[in-house]
Amino acid sequence: MATASVYSGPGFDFTNEVRNNFLTDRGIPLPKATSTGTTIVGCLFKDGIILGADTRATEGPIVADKNCEKIHYITDNIRCCGAGTAADTEFTTALISSNMELHALSTGRKPRVVTAMTMLKQMLFRYQGHIGAALVLGGVDVTGPQLFTIHPHGSTDKLPYVTMGSGSLAAMAVFEAQWKPNMERAEALDLVCAAISAGIFNDLGSGSNVDACVITASHTEMLRNFVKPNERVQKERSYTFRRGTTEWKKEEIRALVVEEDITHITGRGTEEAMDTS
Amino acid sequence: MDSLRVVPGKGDKTATVHDTTNSFGLHDTLKYGPRSLSAEVNSTGKIRDRLENWEATQDNLKLQMQRQLFGLHMPMRLMMERKIVSQNPHMPIMPQSNLHLDILMGRDETLECADFMTPASEMAQPLDIHADMEKKLRM
Repeated sequence: MATASVYSGPGFDFTNEVRNNFLTDRGIPLPKATSTGTTIVGCLFKDGIILGADTRATEGPIVADKNCEKIHYITDNIRCCGAGTAADTEFTTALISSNMELHALSTGRKPRVVTAMTMLKQMLFRYQGHIGAALVLGGVDVTGPQLFTIHPHGSTDKLPYVTMGSGSLAAMAVFEAQWKPNMERAEALDLVCAAISAGIFNDLGSGSNVDACVITASHTEMLRNFVKPNERVQKERSYTFRRGTTEWKKEEIRALVVEEDITHITGRGTEEAMDTS
Repeated sequence: MDSLRVVPGKGDKTATVHDTTNSFGLHDTLKYGPRSLSAEVNSTGKIRDRLENWEATQDNLKLQMQRQLFGLHMPMRLMMERKIVSQNPHMPIMPQSNLHLDILMGRDETLECADFMTPASEMAQPLDIHADMEKKLRM
């Protein structure tokens, strides 16, 4: 006797899979999901964690968004930078943020960074790397400041300074040269900006401005567009046309607002009472 | 049956071209009907099988460990509770939710893709309630 499944299922529709496999076997490749080039970094300093990211989102060779936000909110004391496919990072971090809130309400305690890390790695492992999200997760909780990286297949690292994305090598070079333990806030912020700037200027996939986020035990400070090394210069000439450049022969004005007069017809005095028998 | 598998294994692809060939080595339309794509495609749905069997595999792991630790009664009681709770005396109408089952399965305090990304086919109005009732009563 077959029973209804108690499991909720994957939530995805696989009806096109046979067709896609057939086409792939025939030699027609699946369209590739566009991957964003990025530089994201995280570093530990005396009072907590600083996360940094650039702000360019690319679609192949074209810049899709000149000022996108790559530092996502997980909880008040935990933030996550995302590299890889933009949709995947946003969706994954939003889902984990919701689950963390539910978890915090259920346990009655402040959420911990390892909880978010475990949820993320279990989800990414289940999807076998098809979710292209490479994340830098950092936060300060009751156990102290923690910084993790999570790769798209689900592996994680716990390190004092991390970089991810296509500009990770440029940023890591800066970190390796200048990071030292127990830095002050200003020093650490300069280091993070230098690392992101290295990614911005030396990697094609990263660019525009530097975002930073400083997380300490007492509060979190989001520094959006902290450094703007790529501002456009003011144009020297004005290229607008003066009024009257184009001659016009006829002018016709049509009113698009319909005017209506409302007359109320009150039937109170003339109406007969309702017959309810 | 006593496996402590953590991750779903590979599902075997059952239908092949060779099942329906005639003496010429071609598909025998007269005997077996027109050609079917799902029988001829060789690549398996790896991610599909993995996702569809994920919860069942994890569940089996937990039940198997409980059987080895506490004895057969433990998984038996848990499955009995689930079965009692899944019995729904109503007609199949949309939408259906079983909070008690969610609590027993441990998903009452989490959000998963399945909670908000059901495919359009499953969200459609039930056009054939007789078929739905038949399906339900045969369970």
